[in-house]
Amino acid sequence: MFKLVLRGFLQRKLRVTLTAVAIVLGVALMAGTYILTDTINNSFATIFQTASAGHDVVVTPTQVLGRRVRAQTSPVTQGMLETVQRTPGVAQASGSIFTPGTFLNMKRERLTTTNAPAFIGSLVPSHFESFKPVRGSFPQNAGQVAIDEATAQRAGLHVGQQIIVAGSAATGTYTIVGILKFGGGESFGGAGAALFVPAEAQRLLGETGRYDQIDVAAQHGVTPGELRDRIRKELPATVDVRTGAEQAKKDTSDLENNLGFLRTFLLIFAYVALVVGAFIIFNTFSITVAQRTREFGLLRTLGGSRAQVLRSVVYEGLMLGVLGGVLGLLAGIGIAPALDQLFKAFGADLPDSGTVIESRTVIVSILVGVGVTVAAGLPPALRATRVPPLAAMREGVSTPRGVRTGVGVLIRAVIFAVVGFGLAALLSSPAVGVIAFVGLSIYVTVMLAGLVRGDRPARHRIVSALGRALGSLVRWRGITGRLAEENSIRQPGRTMVTAMALTVGLALVAFVAVLADGFKATIDHAVDSSFAGDLIVENSQSGNEQGIPTGVAKALRTVHGVSGVTAIAFSIGRPRGTSSNETVTAVEPESFAKVYKPEWKHGSIATLSGLSGNGAVVTEGFAKKRHLHVGSTFTMLTPTGRDVTLSTRGIIAENAGLLGGVTVARTLAASAFGQREDAVDFVSYAPGAGNAQVQPAVDRLLKASYPQTRSRTAAQFKQDLAGQINSLLTLIYVLLALSVIVSLFGIVNTLILSIYERTRELGMMRAIGTSRRQIRQMIRYESVITSMIGGVLGLVIGVVGAVLTTTFALSGSSYVQAIPYGTLVVLLFVAALAGVLAAQLPARRAARLDMLSALATE
Amino acid sequence: MADPGQAQDIVLASDLTKRYGEGEAAVDALAGVSVAFPEKRFAAIMGPSGSGKSTLMHILAGLDRPSSGTVSLAGTELTGLQDKALTQLRRDRIGFIFQTFNLLPVLNAEENILLPLSIAGREPDREWFQTLIDTVGIGDRLTHRPAELSGGQQQRVAVARALVSRPSVVFADEPSGNLDSKSSNEVLHLLRQAVDEFGQTVVMVTHDAHAASFADRLLLLADGRIVHDGEAMSTEQTLDLMKDLG
Repeated sequence: MFKLVLRGFLQRKLRVTLTAVAIVLGVALMAGTYILTDTINNSFATIFQTASAGHDVVVTPTQVLGRRVRAQTSPVTQGMLETVQRTPGVAQASGSIFTPGTFLNMKRERLTTTNAPAFIGSLVPSHFESFKPVRGSFPQNAGQVAIDEATAQRAGLHVGQQIIVAGSAATGTYTIVGILKFGGGESFGGAGAALFVPAEAQRLLGETGRYDQIDVAAQHGVTPGELRDRIRKELPATVDVRTGAEQAKKDTSDLENNLGFLRTFLLIFAYVALVVGAFIIFNTFSITVAQRTREFGLLRTLGGSRAQVLRSVVYEGLMLGVLGGVLGLLAGIGIAPALDQLFKAFGADLPDSGTVIESRTVIVSILVGVGVTVAAGLPPALRATRVPPLAAMREGVSTPRGVRTGVGVLIRAVIFAVVGFGLAALLSSPAVGVIAFVGLSIYVTVMLAGLVRGDRPARHRIVSALGRALGSLVRWRGITGRLAEENSIRQPGRTMVTAMALTVGLALVAFVAVLADGFKATIDHAVDSSFAGDLIVENSQSGNEQGIPTGVAKALRTVHGVSGVTAIAFSIGRPRGTSSNETVTAVEPESFAKVYKPEWKHGSIATLSGLSGNGAVVTEGFAKKRHLHVGSTFTMLTPTGRDVTLSTRGIIAENAGLLGGVTVARTLAASAFGQREDAVDFVSYAPGAGNAQVQPAVDRLLKASYPQTRSRTAAQFKQDLAGQINSLLTLIYVLLALSVIVSLFGIVNTLILSIYERTRELGMMRAIGTSRRQIRQMIRYESVITSMIGGVLGLVIGVVGAVLTTTFALSGSSYVQAIPYGTLVVLLFVAALAGVLAAQLPARRAARLDMLSALATE
Repeated sequence: MADPGQAQDIVLASDLTKRYGEGEAAVDALAGVSVAFPEKRFAAIMGPSGSGKSTLMHILAGLDRPSSGTVSLAGTELTGLQDKALTQLRRDRIGFIFQTFNLLPVLNAEENILLPLSIAGREPDREWFQTLIDTVGIGDRLTHRPAELSGGQQQRVAVARALVSRPSVVFADEPSGNLDSKSSNEVLHLLRQAVDEFGQTVVMVTHDAHAASFADRLLLLADGRIVHDGEAMSTEQTLDLMKDLG
């Protein structure tokens, strides 16, 4: 039996190839994602292991507000270092610094062009040092720096040359005395590093007397675990004490956690491609089962059991699945570096040394390949078992009606659920989940109702209506258009499933496009309503969440034409008794109140301008949740691990733009929240001063003193943000394109199978004088109608879905609805183009048909 | 009936051979056939299976190419024509009737009849169309699709389709092969009528002696050669003749 299936398999090479592609692409993206993320994780794990070599115990700040929140002012002090040094069993202990900064050449251009961070580090005793000079030496004094080899090479820097390094407190010019290599020589991620003598590193970062970490070596005979416990007893809870091995493990797991997002993000696109692939496999098997009705009838007549018929189809799915899984895995190995390049192109430089293929990747790829194929092929296989033996005898026995059974509805419902909830996961939006659930319920209800009444399913009417409407686009072309229209709706179920494959991809594209347009509109609106002044000054690598030194605001006030400057910082706090973090906005009360006018519920602008001490302005929602009124107090845990009690001075309306749930004075943010940097400065112009004069003057100052910053007008700022959304959008489009490509193969496959079924018709048409061109045209039109049905449905579902989602999920927020009509029109053209492309091969085959064998009577 | 003496030859074939395969395994489907079909006549080609009658018709109709020999149709030499020109010739000069009707299931009867004109992008001659549907008698079925028509009705639609473009010649391949005797007679009468009333030229391939009795002329093929060429005879005479020829 297996041999028989194998032979059939080889005889239908083209179809097998086309069907396998449906599964290969999805599996490839999945395998590629695993390989890429495993490789990155592995690279980082190696880096962390190297970095912790020689460290028996490590003291780091406690991250009380979760892994992602780090206090800007480290709680690790010189006093703690001395305490550790005095602890019995400690052979050596030293404080170290390793914090993001900015490197520039003498032309004041950034040396790191991508979004990879650059770190300012302090030299540590050789026992702890994981960098080694490959040329020159470590820095000896405050004017010297040693930089990593990759950065030096990229910027063409050599020992003896100078660079500028900007930290969160100061900026300086340094002479390069050494070029460094990290650990055993592996790349240090995509990141750059510059090492200074400790005091200079502290000065640059404004952390004099503080360290990011204390490295400890144990005396001989003292185990790291013992020493950790001894040190733990000596230090406060604001720091964590771990052994070197524990620290490396924690760093690795933190990173994996962060990269988990990347993995999930990519896997979602793989799942979408697999769902599309499942549609195609289902369709292909349905058609071939229909075409093999007589064969199955014969098998049954000769005494074959239903189980044997089932097996003959399922085996085919099984083999196809194994083939798709293996090819997908191989393609995934090829795709992983391409994905890496894709992310590099979008500005995320991730380290990747040595491709890592875990056995999990292999197993999952093949299991998913086989699972999806067999599951999608099962309903048609079951249908095959219902072919009566008589089918072999009679001419033109139609296949048993489609799976109009409870099981069929269930299978479709599951596919629907996967798509719906996949979408929900994609946007981590519960609302999409709700909509998917509602849609699913409606679907199941309608289908079950149809089951009871035995109607023609509604979707067939949709296909017919859409096919007729779209057919009118080609009907003017005469008989070829007319026949294309008729053929496209001839088997509505088949057309529907073929089109649906494209619908899934295009619905997601439309959904994302609508959302992105809405976010852009929302940002425009938000910037308009909360741009407090004429100019914003920010870190020029804004994507990296790095702020600007507090000194910038003071310096800006000296620029001619500037009437006011107000600095804003953002921190995070956790109200006592809750487990969710709240954004805390820190403002300079007096200058801020002059340029920013929130809507007040209780209090007035005087409340804001007089904000001082532990006073806070909260939003209405924040106040309601905690039953706060003016005068009442609440306690918040700050990133430094301290509790701070705040007093409610005023309450403002929700959606206050710049202002988070809690607004405090900047002085409090510095003392209680450990805030060292500002996020942005808003600059207001004096009456009569124009942007043409002031902005260049501001830029000159920034370039000279704070080269890591830049100024932006509201329009420029909007453009930057729109640009960021656009590049994310492009990335998503590229990944969704895969699903669209998969669905293209589905159209090709369906057309080829349909053409095979219509051999005789095509032969007759050729015989009575239809030209090859007309045949090609007819197939192409049919393909375009099918793809446009998919396109129209996709756009409708995508747009309606996006509008519903944003309406429900973002109601009450300041989200502005916007529909990108231009993009939608382009997408329709893409759908039509997909149809034209998909028709190429089938149209050629149809036109080359051998007329005589097509007309031969059996 | 038109006088064969004065009639022009619509289809002229000389020395046609058709060889399949090569070397020792080669089979000659046609081994030198020369034949002319004058206009306004109804010819029947008969012969046992494998006699080459279908191959002959395919070559005469421009569906297949001979290994050697020439065919001219209404003055056009077919042998050297490219696919494009050949397709156009079939479209404008030839009508086809098939054993299995071969109507397009997605089109209704009227659209099926007009298909050759639609393909050519020509407007139908309404009067001629009316005459045709009156003759084949499917005026009340024009909006029905083939699946809603009986076999006989389908073949009558097919006859109308073959005649609608007023071709130079109609080739019919076992037109009654898939029909019961009543429908079969109706269709054969129609072909007869086409020749007598509309001056059509019809070449029919059949293995049914009864069908052949409707024709003016009977050609018998065996082993790729014409073994008999004469006036059509009654069914019994034809059967006897075939028996004689073995």
